[in-house]
Amino acid sequence: MELRRPSSLAELPASPGDGAVLLAGGTEVVPLIRSGLLHAETLLDVRAVVPRGIDGTRIGAATTLAELESSDEVPDAVREAARLAASPQLRNAGTLAGNLLQATRCWYWRLGRPCRLHGGDECFARTGEHREHAIFANGFCASAHPSDLAAALLALDATVETTARMLPVGELYRLPTTADRRVTTLEPGEAIVRIDVPAPERSVYLKAMDRARWSFPLVGVAAARTGGETRVALAGVAPVPWLLAGGDVDGATPLPRNAWKVDVARALVRRALAAVA
Amino acid sequence: MARLIRTEKEVEGRYEEVWLVVEEDALDQWPEGPLDVVGRPAARIDGLERARGEAVYTADVQLNGMLHAAMVRSPHAHARARSVDLAPALALPGVHAAIGPGEIPKLADLCGYQGAPVAAVCADTEAQARAAAAAVVVDWEVLEPLVDPDEAVRRGQLLSEPRVRERGDYERGLEEADVVVSGEFRTQTVLHNSMETHQSVVRWVGDELEVHVSTQYVWGVRDELASGLGLPADRVRVICNYMGGGFGSKNDAGDYTFVAAELARRTGRPVRCALSRREEHLAAGNRNATIQRLTIGARSDGTLTALGGEFVNAVGWGGWVAATDGPMHALYACPNVRSTLYGAKLNTPPMKAFRAPGFVEGTFGLETLLDELAAKLDLDPLELRRRNHADADASDGRPFSSKNLLECYRRAEPHWERRHEVRARSTDTVKRGVGMASQVWYGGGGPPSYAWVRVGSDGRAAVVTAMQDIGTGTRTAMAQIAAEELGIPLDHVTVSLGDTARGPYATLSAGSSTTPSIGPAVRAAAADARRQIEEIAEQRGTPGAPLAEVVSVLEDAQILGKGARGPNPTGMQVLTFGVHVAEVAVDVETGEVRVERVAAIHDVGRVINPLGAASQIEGGVIQGIGHTLSEERLLDPATGAVLTTSLDAYRLPTIADVPEIVSELVDVPDRHLTNLGSKGLGEPPIVPIAAAIANAIRDATGADVRSLPITREELLRALREAAERERRGAPAAV
Amino acid sequence: MNEHAYEVDVQVGTTLAEVLRDELRLTGTKVACGEGHCGACTVLVDGAPTLSCITLVHSLDGARVTTIEGLREHPMVASFVRADALQCGFCTPGQIVSAVALVESEPDPSAERIRHAMAGNLCRCGTYPKIEEAIRTWRD
Repeated sequence: MELRRPSSLAELPASPGDGAVLLAGGTEVVPLIRSGLLHAETLLDVRAVVPRGIDGTRIGAATTLAELESSDEVPDAVREAARLAASPQLRNAGTLAGNLLQATRCWYWRLGRPCRLHGGDECFARTGEHREHAIFANGFCASAHPSDLAAALLALDATVETTARMLPVGELYRLPTTADRRVTTLEPGEAIVRIDVPAPERSVYLKAMDRARWSFPLVGVAAARTGGETRVALAGVAPVPWLLAGGDVDGATPLPRNAWKVDVARALVRRALAAVA
Repeated sequence: MARLIRTEKEVEGRYEEVWLVVEEDALDQWPEGPLDVVGRPAARIDGLERARGEAVYTADVQLNGMLHAAMVRSPHAHARARSVDLAPALALPGVHAAIGPGEIPKLADLCGYQGAPVAAVCADTEAQARAAAAAVVVDWEVLEPLVDPDEAVRRGQLLSEPRVRERGDYERGLEEADVVVSGEFRTQTVLHNSMETHQSVVRWVGDELEVHVSTQYVWGVRDELASGLGLPADRVRVICNYMGGGFGSKNDAGDYTFVAAELARRTGRPVRCALSRREEHLAAGNRNATIQRLTIGARSDGTLTALGGEFVNAVGWGGWVAATDGPMHALYACPNVRSTLYGAKLNTPPMKAFRAPGFVEGTFGLETLLDELAAKLDLDPLELRRRNHADADASDGRPFSSKNLLECYRRAEPHWERRHEVRARSTDTVKRGVGMASQVWYGGGGPPSYAWVRVGSDGRAAVVTAMQDIGTGTRTAMAQIAAEELGIPLDHVTVSLGDTARGPYATLSAGSSTTPSIGPAVRAAAADARRQIEEIAEQRGTPGAPLAEVVSVLEDAQILGKGARGPNPTGMQVLTFGVHVAEVAVDVETGEVRVERVAAIHDVGRVINPLGAASQIEGGVIQGIGHTLSEERLLDPATGAVLTTSLDAYRLPTIADVPEIVSELVDVPDRHLTNLGSKGLGEPPIVPIAAAIANAIRDATGADVRSLPITREELLRALREAAERERRGAPAAV
Repeated sequence: MNEHAYEVDVQVGTTLAEVLRDELRLTGTKVACGEGHCGACTVLVDGAPTLSCITLVHSLDGARVTTIEGLREHPMVASFVRADALQCGFCTPGQIVSAVALVESEPDPSAERIRHAMAGNLCRCGTYPKIEEAIRTWRD
C-alpha cells in the first residue's frame, strides 16, 4: 500500500480504478482497511487540497466534526449533529465529507457476511437480528444509515459540490438495488469539495442513543424551518438518510423486532417540529 | 506450634473443603473505627506508575526474540474440522510454527461454539501471525447449533443434573399465602470486556517455564500449567505485576497460555499469544443469560410464606452453573423455598465467572418481583424487606458471623424518603421515581493465604506475597495493614506481589475474597515481625521503644515475619449485605431511562481503605448500570454467530452515563472473622443495582420491566402493558 | 514526539500506536481495541486528542505528538493518583492525555464539559466519578 499526497484537486485521478481510496481523517477508512472490508493499493491523503473551514454558508468538506461542533456560524442542527456524533477523539479527526460517506453499522455488513451490500443475494438482518436496523425502505436491504450530519444537511436542503458537479445532498444517496449495490451516487474519482448549507430560521437535531454519548443514532431527527416550509430528515431509519414526507412516520414498514423505532421516531419528530415552529 | 486442620472455604458461592496449616491466631482485632493507617483514605501506592504508563502489563511485556501467536477459531457455532491444513500458513513470510487439533488438548476438532480454538500459528509479527491464521485451510462439517436454553432443557442437554434446593414445604407455603405474584424474568449475556485482553507471554528458561499472564490467580495458572504439561509445579513461574481487569474472566490459564507454551517449546523462542478485542467478544467468557420463572407468596402483612423458582442458565458449551437461585434462598426469612436450577449446554461461548455470578441475575428477578408484591399489598417496599429480615441463615439456622442489613436499611431511609420530592419533579413526558433492592453475597474469603514481612535496619518494611492486584487496590490495602500493625507510616511499606517464584501462596483475586483472605495473613506476618522486634527491645533493656530505633542496630540483619490466614468461624454463615436506592428519569415517549442518583450502602465488615472502597462501589454500580441499560451480547438466531464483536456495538457505559453516586459503608468489624473483621467488597456493589433501577422505573411509571437490558423496546412494551392494565382498572403502583 | 525527533522506517499502513509500542518501545500508550472505539490509545497530535490505533503514521506529516511519557510531570498525573482516579490502570494513560487536552483549553471545565470531553475514553472498572473529580481538582 502506498500513501500519496496530491498537491491539488486536479491531481485526483479522474478514475483511479481499483485500489485508490481517498483519505482524510481516516476514522472510517483505516479500520475498514485493517479489518479487511476495504482494499486500497493507494491512499490519497487529500487533507491539504480539500477545502476546510466555514465561509458563510459554505462548509469545506475537510472541516472536522470538532470544528463544526465549536462553530457558531453553522445552523443549530449541524452543530448539534456534530456535537452528538461519535467521540471527542473521532470528532477531532473525522471530516464532514467522511461522515456523510460512512458505511452502515449493520453487524452483518461489518462482519463481512455476503449480504446484498457486499454483492450477495440475501439480507441477513431481515430474517435475523435487526433491532437497530431500518424501518423505511428496508425491503431489499435493512441497513441503517448512521450519519447524524447527513440527516441535518438533508433537512436543511444543503447542496453538495463535488469535483464534478453540484447536487442536492439527497441526491448524494441512493437505495441499493439488485443491479447496483451502492448507497452513494459518487462516481469513481469524484470527491466532495464543499457543502453549501442555507441558513434556516430555526433548526434542531434530536438523537436517541442507548448511552448518553458515543453512540450511533438509534433514531436521529433533524428539522429545519425556512419561511413557511419545514423539512424533517431522519438518521438510523433507512439505508440512506431519510427525508420524511408529510412530516409523519406512519408510512414506516418496520420489521418484526424494530417497531419500537417507529414509536421513538414519532415522538422525536413531534418534538423536533415543536422546537422549530 | 503448627497444626493441620480441615476447614471450609467459599469462592464465588462454591464451597470446598481445604487443608490448612495454622499457627495460633492470637491477634485480637483492632478496635472499631479509623486507626492510624487502616480505615483512613490512602491513594494507591502503585498509582503513579500506572498513571504515567510506566507499569508493565502483560500487553507491554516484550522479550528478546519474542514471536506472536494467533489462533484459528471455529467460525461456526457447532462444527467438526474434518481436516486442517497448516501448510499454507507455514509457507507465509515470518511464520515459524503451527499446531493443529489434538497436538495439544486445548485444540480440538470438535468445536462446540463460535470461537472455539482449533489451531494456532506463530510468526515474527502479530500481523503476520494473523495473516497466517487466516491462511489455514479447514474443511468444516457444519453441525446443527442449539442456542435456545429452554429447548436445551427440553432435550436434556445440560451441563449437569438439575439442582433442586428446598426448605420447608413450598406447596403449603403457597396455600398459606394471601397474595401470590409470579413472573418470568430474563437477563442477557454480558461480556467482561476488560480493557486488557486475555493474553500471555511464555518462554522456556532451561527446562523451566516462565509465564507472564494477565490473570487473577498466578498460583492457579502455575498449578494448571504444571499439571497440564507434566511439570513439577516449582518449574513453572507465573508473573503478573499489573493487569488490566478481569472481573472473573481471568481465573485460569486459558487456551492461549497453553498454545504459547507449546509454540515456545517448538520454536525455542518466547511466544506472546494475545486475544484481539474481537476475540475477546467471542471466546473470553461471559455472564450467561438466564430465564427465571419466579413465584412469591405472602400474607397480607407482607411476611413471605413461599418463594419458588425455575432457573435456566444459558451456560454455553462449558463452564459451570452459577447460583442464580442463591438470593432466593439467602436473602429473606421465608420458611418455604423451592428452586430448580438448570445449566443449559448450548453451542455458545462458555460462561465464566463475572462479578457475583448468578446473584446479579437472581437478585434482579427476585427483588423486582418483590416490589410487584409490595405494590399489590400496598406495602412500603422498605418495610416489606424489613419484615422478612433473616436474623439467622434461613436454610440451616446457622447464625451469621455478622449482619448489619437492618442498619443498611436504616441508612437507606433518608435516600428512600427522597421519593416524594423526586416523583414531584415528573413532567408529562419525563417521569421520575425511586426504587430499592437488597443485596446479599459472599465475601468471607478463606484459607490458605500467606505473607512474609521483612523489616530492615532502616525501619522500613516489605510485604512479600505471591498475590495479584487486579486493580482493586490490593497492594495499598496490604501496605496499610502492615503499616498499622508495625506502627510505621504507610510510605515506609512496600509490597511485592505478582510472582509465584517470589513469595508464598496467596488466593485468587475473585469472589470478593482478596482482602478477607490475604489481609489477615499480612497482619499476622507483620505481627510476627513486631513481636520479634519487641523481644529485641526487651533484651536491649528498652521495652516500648519505637520500631525505628530498635531496628537501627540491625545493619544487614533483618527481622522476618510470617503469617497465615487462619480458619473461618465454624458453624457460622459469612455473608455481605447491602441496599441500593436508585432514582431514575424515564422519558415515556422514547423509552429512554436515565439513572440520576444511586445511594449504595454496604456492610462488608471493617473497611481497610475508604478511598479504595468508594472506588469499588462506584465501579460496581457503573458496571451494573451497563448490565441494566445498554450491554448485550447478541447472536445471529440462525447460525449462533456472535454479532456484537466490537466496542461500538457492545455498549459499555461512558463517563456521561454516570449518575450521582452516594456510597456508604457500615464499617463495623465482623468480630468472628479473622484478625481483621473485614469482608470483600469487589462484588457486592454490582448485585442490587439492576433491581433498584427496575423498581424505580415501576415507581415512576407503573411499568413492570422484566428483562435486561432495559432497552427502549422493553421499556415501551412495559409502558404499553401498564397502560393496558390501567385501562382495565387494575391497581397501579404504590 | 515529546519534544524529540524520531525517524522510523515502516510500511504504509502502520499505525502510530504500532510505531510507539513496537518500534519505539514506548508502552505507556495502550491498545485495547485497535479499532478506534475505546480511547485507550489516545495521544495528542498537535494538541488534539487522537486515536493512535487508527492513525496511519505516514499521515503525520510534521505533526507534534505527545504521549503519556511526555506528560509524566503534568499536575494531572498527580491529580489522578490523589483522587484515586484509576483502578486497573489500563485506560489511565489515555484518560490523562484526554484530560490534559481538556484543561489546556478550558482550565476550569464544568462537570458537563468534563463528561462531554471524556466520553471517548472507556473505563471498564468504572472509575469515572473519580476521573471527573481529578479533572475538577487538577490545580489543587
